[in-house]
Amino acid sequence: MTNGNKRTAGDHPLMLCFDTSTAVLAAAVCRGAEVLASRHSHAERNHAVRIVSDLKALLEEAGGEEIDGIAVGRGPGSYTGVRIGVSAAKTLAWAWDKPLVGLSSLETLAMAAGPYLRGDKQATETAAFATRHAERPVWVVPIMDARRGQVYGARFGTTDGSVWHRLDEDAIRLIGEWGPSLAACAGEAGALLVFVGEIGPHAAALEALVGAVALPLAIDAGEMGRLAAARLAIGLVDDVHGFAPNYTQLTEAETKLGDGARTEGQA
Amino acid sequence: MLSNIVSSQIETHRRFGGVVPEIASRKHVESITLIVQEALTEAGVSRRDIDAVAVTQGPGLIGALLVGVVAAKSLALALDVPLIGTHHIAGHIYANRLIGDIVYPALALVVSGGHTELVLLPEEGVFRIVGRTRDDAVGEAYDKVARALSFPYPGGPHVDKLAQQSEEEIVLPRAWLEEGSYDFSFSGLKSAVLAEINRSKMKGLDPDFAALARGFQNSVVDVVTTKAMKAAAEFGARQLLLCGGVAANRGIRERLAARCEEAGLPMLVPPMSLCSDNAAMIGAAAELKWRRGQFSSLDLAAAAQVSLEEWSV
Ligand SMILES: [Zn+2]
Repeated sequence: MTNGNKRTAGDHPLMLCFDTSTAVLAAAVCRGAEVLASRHSHAERNHAVRIVSDLKALLEEAGGEEIDGIAVGRGPGSYTGVRIGVSAAKTLAWAWDKPLVGLSSLETLAMAAGPYLRGDKQATETAAFATRHAERPVWVVPIMDARRGQVYGARFGTTDGSVWHRLDEDAIRLIGEWGPSLAACAGEAGALLVFVGEIGPHAAALEALVGAVALPLAIDAGEMGRLAAARLAIGLVDDVHGFAPNYTQLTEAETKLGDGARTEGQA
Repeated sequence: MLSNIVSSQIETHRRFGGVVPEIASRKHVESITLIVQEALTEAGVSRRDIDAVAVTQGPGLIGALLVGVVAAKSLALALDVPLIGTHHIAGHIYANRLIGDIVYPALALVVSGGHTELVLLPEEGVFRIVGRTRDDAVGEAYDKVARALSFPYPGGPHVDKLAQQSEEEIVLPRAWLEEGSYDFSFSGLKSAVLAEINRSKMKGLDPDFAALARGFQNSVVDVVTTKAMKAAAEFGARQLLLCGGVAANRGIRERLAARCEEAGLPMLVPPMSLCSDNAAMIGAAAELKWRRGQFSSLDLAAAAQVSLEEWSV
């Protein structure tokens, strides 16, 4: 650092974190778990308009210090949305010559349950959370609506909301099939199943799952800071030029081309 | 111009028989910083030497524009330099500034895959549209006819070449539109080509593609050059600027050059590398705003449609 702030070797890096894959434009400046400034605005169609001026305001609010790295949600989610976040993150990382940490947008969405599991925040469904004190594992399943009964989803395990491990990869799935199979597995494993994210469009399917909790939480950029700092600390950084969104899906045109090739192959 | 890097996706989109917007946007995200890096490297400058960032605000494919605008805004923030949102057509027109001096009033004929416009520039940086296509752009009409003549995407240049080679011509109608109009229409002409092909097939004959290509090309060239020359005379243009990706078309280029010479009207046309979409032309147009201190805010929005006249300095 060149701006003379007193930093010891044990300090966490100052990270600019943001995600635009959902209807929420989430951004924060964090030093490890400490959130120096954050903004969360609901305006899906305006992410491209506001992102850069929001980041500028945020950096000023956080003290205008030079940042040490950039963390961004690389999807899945809205195709346009993830492109906005990834384009901004790549360009800033390149222009500032700082490390870039790409995070799964589903993982960052799962992290939004962290404060409730740690007891930093209270959910209305506190009764369900009370049961976790019996050392029950918690499976947090972040979901984003992908239309036609589908969701982008993944599964993460935790006991305390601080240490997480991934149990399922990011993928697009039919909630009507995936939901019941998760509930059955959770029953066998004695885990508390918690869905977070875009619950609304799939409320009926989720209500049918016995013992599952659904929390309509949005991505919390402040929670991205912990994850980003941990990844940066072990050198899990991305190549800026090669960095690209994770859409989890081919485009329709590519799928059709693939189908065509297969059909021809069989003929 | 210190460098002008273009990353074309033609090879990718050829597989799909045309530009797929979602794929175009995906490719842009993948290559954006690498291309900017290459532009700096080739120019022999560093990030700190940059005084301003110019970007196409529109018109164009919104998903593709968004990537450029977000990256440009991020770059402007990171380098703490002004941002200049630029009109794509102003870029095509001012590509001419990279090869010569523009004399005003000038008339620009913009022909590309997405645009066919006659633009009057009464003075530097001021744009007045005097004519535009009411349906297909010239390049679009060429590509559609190329498909009908069984050429692969992008087929426009094939039609141009075939028309040059043909001895025969099937004469096709000219869409002059109403008296005094400088607007264009090419969809009827495209339909006439398709009707000719069907007529031959009904008779059990092979359509004469070469004669059709020549007939199509002559109709387009006749209408485009005649309207451009009329407008140039009416508005007292002292120079004619040909630009856009289709300016590479020999039919249009040669006939217009001949007619300008007859009329004693100087004509400017950029080399091919500056006619097809490129970044140097965006820089040339943005320079108009730079000299006047007219910058964009970090809330600049990409837009599929942007008024050229309103973009005037
Ligand atoms: Zn163009």
